[in-house]
Amino acid sequence: MNRRMIVYLLGRVLFIEGALMLLPTLCALIYRERCGLWFVAVGALCCLIGLAVSRREPADPVFYLKEGCIVTALSWLLISIFGALPFVLSGAIPSFTDALFETVSGFTTTGASILPAVEPLPRCMLFWRSFTHWVGGMGVLVFLLAIMPIHGGGSHFNLMRAESPGPSVGKLVPKVLSTARILYYIYIVLTAINVALLFIGGMPLFDALTTAFGTAGTGGFGIKNDSLASYGIHLQWITGIFMMLFGINFNAYFLVLYDSPKKAFKMEEVRAYLAVILVSTVLITLNILPQVSDVFPALTQAFFQVSSIITTTGFSTVDFNAWPSFSKAILVVLVFCGACAGSTGGGIKVSRLLLLAKASLNEFRAYLHPRSVRTIKLDGRAVERETLHSVYVFCAVYFFVFCGSTLLVLLEGVDLVTGFTAVAATINNIGPGLNAVGPAANYGQLTILTKYVLIFDMLAGRLELFPLLLLLHPSLLKELLRPGASASGKGGESYAGR
Amino acid sequence: MAIGGKKKSGLRIIIVGLGKVGATLAEQLSLEDHDVTVIDRNAPKVQAVADRFDVMGMVGNGASYSMLVDAGIDKTDLLIAVTESDELNLLCCTLAKQVAGCSAIARVRTPDYSREADYLSERLGLAMILNPDQLSAHEIARILYLPSALEINAFAHHQAESVRFRVPEGNLLDGMEISRLGREIEHNILVCGVERGDDVTIPNGGFRIQKGDIVSIVGSRTESMRFLRNIGLETQQVANTLIIGGGRSAYYLASRLLTHKVAVTIVERSRARCEELSDLLPDAVIINGDGTDAELLKEVGIERAESFVPLTGIDEENVLLTLHARKVSKAKLVTKINRMAFRDVIDGLDLGSVVYPRYLTSEAIIAYVRALGNAAQSSRVISMFHMFSNRAEALEMRVEEPSEVTNVPLKELHIKPEVLIGCINRGGRIIIPGGDDSLQVGDTVVIVTRHKGFDNLRDMLER
Repeated sequence: MNRRMIVYLLGRVLFIEGALMLLPTLCALIYRERCGLWFVAVGALCCLIGLAVSRREPADPVFYLKEGCIVTALSWLLISIFGALPFVLSGAIPSFTDALFETVSGFTTTGASILPAVEPLPRCMLFWRSFTHWVGGMGVLVFLLAIMPIHGGGSHFNLMRAESPGPSVGKLVPKVLSTARILYYIYIVLTAINVALLFIGGMPLFDALTTAFGTAGTGGFGIKNDSLASYGIHLQWITGIFMMLFGINFNAYFLVLYDSPKKAFKMEEVRAYLAVILVSTVLITLNILPQVSDVFPALTQAFFQVSSIITTTGFSTVDFNAWPSFSKAILVVLVFCGACAGSTGGGIKVSRLLLLAKASLNEFRAYLHPRSVRTIKLDGRAVERETLHSVYVFCAVYFFVFCGSTLLVLLEGVDLVTGFTAVAATINNIGPGLNAVGPAANYGQLTILTKYVLIFDMLAGRLELFPLLLLLHPSLLKELLRPGASASGKGGESYAGR
Repeated sequence: MAIGGKKKSGLRIIIVGLGKVGATLAEQLSLEDHDVTVIDRNAPKVQAVADRFDVMGMVGNGASYSMLVDAGIDKTDLLIAVTESDELNLLCCTLAKQVAGCSAIARVRTPDYSREADYLSERLGLAMILNPDQLSAHEIARILYLPSALEINAFAHHQAESVRFRVPEGNLLDGMEISRLGREIEHNILVCGVERGDDVTIPNGGFRIQKGDIVSIVGSRTESMRFLRNIGLETQQVANTLIIGGGRSAYYLASRLLTHKVAVTIVERSRARCEELSDLLPDAVIINGDGTDAELLKEVGIERAESFVPLTGIDEENVLLTLHARKVSKAKLVTKINRMAFRDVIDGLDLGSVVYPRYLTSEAIIAYVRALGNAAQSSRVISMFHMFSNRAEALEMRVEEPSEVTNVPLKELHIKPEVLIGCINRGGRIIIPGGDDSLQVGDTVVIVTRHKGFDNLRDMLER
């Protein structure tokens, strides 16, 4: 195992996080908030540690998928822990568990909050909270790849593979660096348009920025206690549409920009995704019409909530806990569906479900014609057996993790719907669940054990299970922690310490 | 990138076929910062290459139009076809040329086509037709003409050469400082590198040569021959050669050696191939038998052979045959290694001259790519060789236009460390430059450097 490279990359990630803390510092300067000093302090600490362990590039920069997964999992743990420090130190969120929960929820673009009210928080804290969504949405390692050329042939693609969502992560262009840059370019441009539209629509700049961060990362932290309910209808529509846009596979945008838009609209996943949104919106609109009494507000509410839940954002404009059961059930189904692969959204992903549906259909046909041979195709191309296999395994592991977490959470005495939806909302990176963790409530009253289980679920969900689970594998842990000749002293401590 | 790597927008290159050469090219070209897409029918192979190097992999038939369009042929600068099949390679290149008008390089190995390579490349509009077997045969032949050399690279249409040789015990050079070379031995060559153990030095005047060092010199052909003769090394070409295995490279090598009046014996296992060879090479002695049989080798006279070249298709066999020959004879040994893995082991075996066809092919292509990469520049790469087990590059460049490196005495140029100007070819005259010489438009210059990725003479300047 190339431990030097792991430590080196972790150092780089930490350095980047330190640099990113300049932004909330700037925000604190503008609003003259003293607690901004904590960002300076923690940021400087991150930069120093980061520089100290990644001064020199290791002589052997080659690593494999295993190391890629370890780096990814450890990076996310590391940035969450350091990202939580300003909250704790400034006293905005005094409990470390709560601060960690909030930060993990931010980076994993979950948007589940332990805060009963967010409005009393200082502006810079609110900004950092929302900004973690934006960073976590596209991924911090993809950011690292975009700004820093890493040597070692194609091995750094393993980082992208471990961090990016979807059953088969491919490159857009031959070079990893260019691929990462194109992704961030699309991401930044879309975010900027979103901010501009919200600003023009009458939102104050601070609100526009934080809302756009939450939308872009499909996160869902709001800066108001009632999420987005108090903003005008047109702002809700802008946000709803942009949530939907950020849930589309970024390959589609690449095709629109660099190839032909026609190809983008031919992507089966994108079509299925849009179809699901359309059908769900229509069904919910009809279902809640008696409660709302007018078509347009019902449509607005339905579309916003569908878009928010399927992309796993978790913004809300109404307390959908009060909706009829049928509508709630649709939302729960959407929770598991999730957005497209290669987007900033979470969940199981439309492409996986699409493949599962096709595989199931094939199985039916196999009963009719037992000797028939039929390949499963996506976008006109045969899907490789390994890809299908990984989809099945993903769903199985997803099921196990889900059941295990739900059992652990229920152990602590919450009711079934709360426990079930809390796990569903965190493992799918959505945010609000139903009942005690519904959009009008928060996660603050849960016990510490439950919070850690949910923190695990959020990370597992964002990293698509395997990188994080791999870290728990005994033989791998042994290999990672064994004092060996190849480990540098400093690096050894930095992860042995956890 | 190694020292001196810099930001440059790379070319878009498609490689069709991921055999040994294809994979090597994918590695080297991606390291030189080009956008490389590889196409092969074999999915696991594509996966493996895309995992190891920073390239995009596609699975499919590279000669199909839709596949090439998918791979973005319309925006591609260069297509390199190195599949197993010559016909497929030529088809790929023709298609690329017709569809996108991009440059195309095909590997063609069958002697039938090879003889027509010039005609084919002209009529099909190809940039280059490469024949690794022929390249390695030429390389082997060059070594056999000068058996005391380990490796010879030719520059300036064979007028200048770099020769790599080992300093034997008790040689004149043993213990000599480079600055004293001129006083002790009359010469007009330049020592451009010394390998000692695992170290490579581009030496200055105070460097002291020891026995066992591997020294590389550049100079004109006649001058380097004279130098080697003066220090007491054999410069007579070998009188006879024993070749094991009668494949394509054996054919190319034999036909080349025969024109230089070297007696050739080929041992080949297959009866049918023997008959074919005897038809193609009437002057050679063709022996039907198992070349890995020690008795047979003795019978055909391995002990008296002046040179021995195992060219079986299997690397392990070649290495063992070389080791055996070193034991039983004093022949000059040249080993051909097709697969590159375990190069450290092969280097440690001390086999003498080793020829890697894979490297020869990729060197030729990389030289072309570097020239293509800066078509509108003031200097142009003509050829490129890896030296000292890939730790340095020798580049031959033509000065096309005046620039900051021309007309300035070399001692006034701020040249990077680890860069050496080996020799200048001015209208067919080979000059070993001193500090007062300067580069002129129209010169071709050989520079040896441990930096990688130079494609312009200006790259050698400190900035």
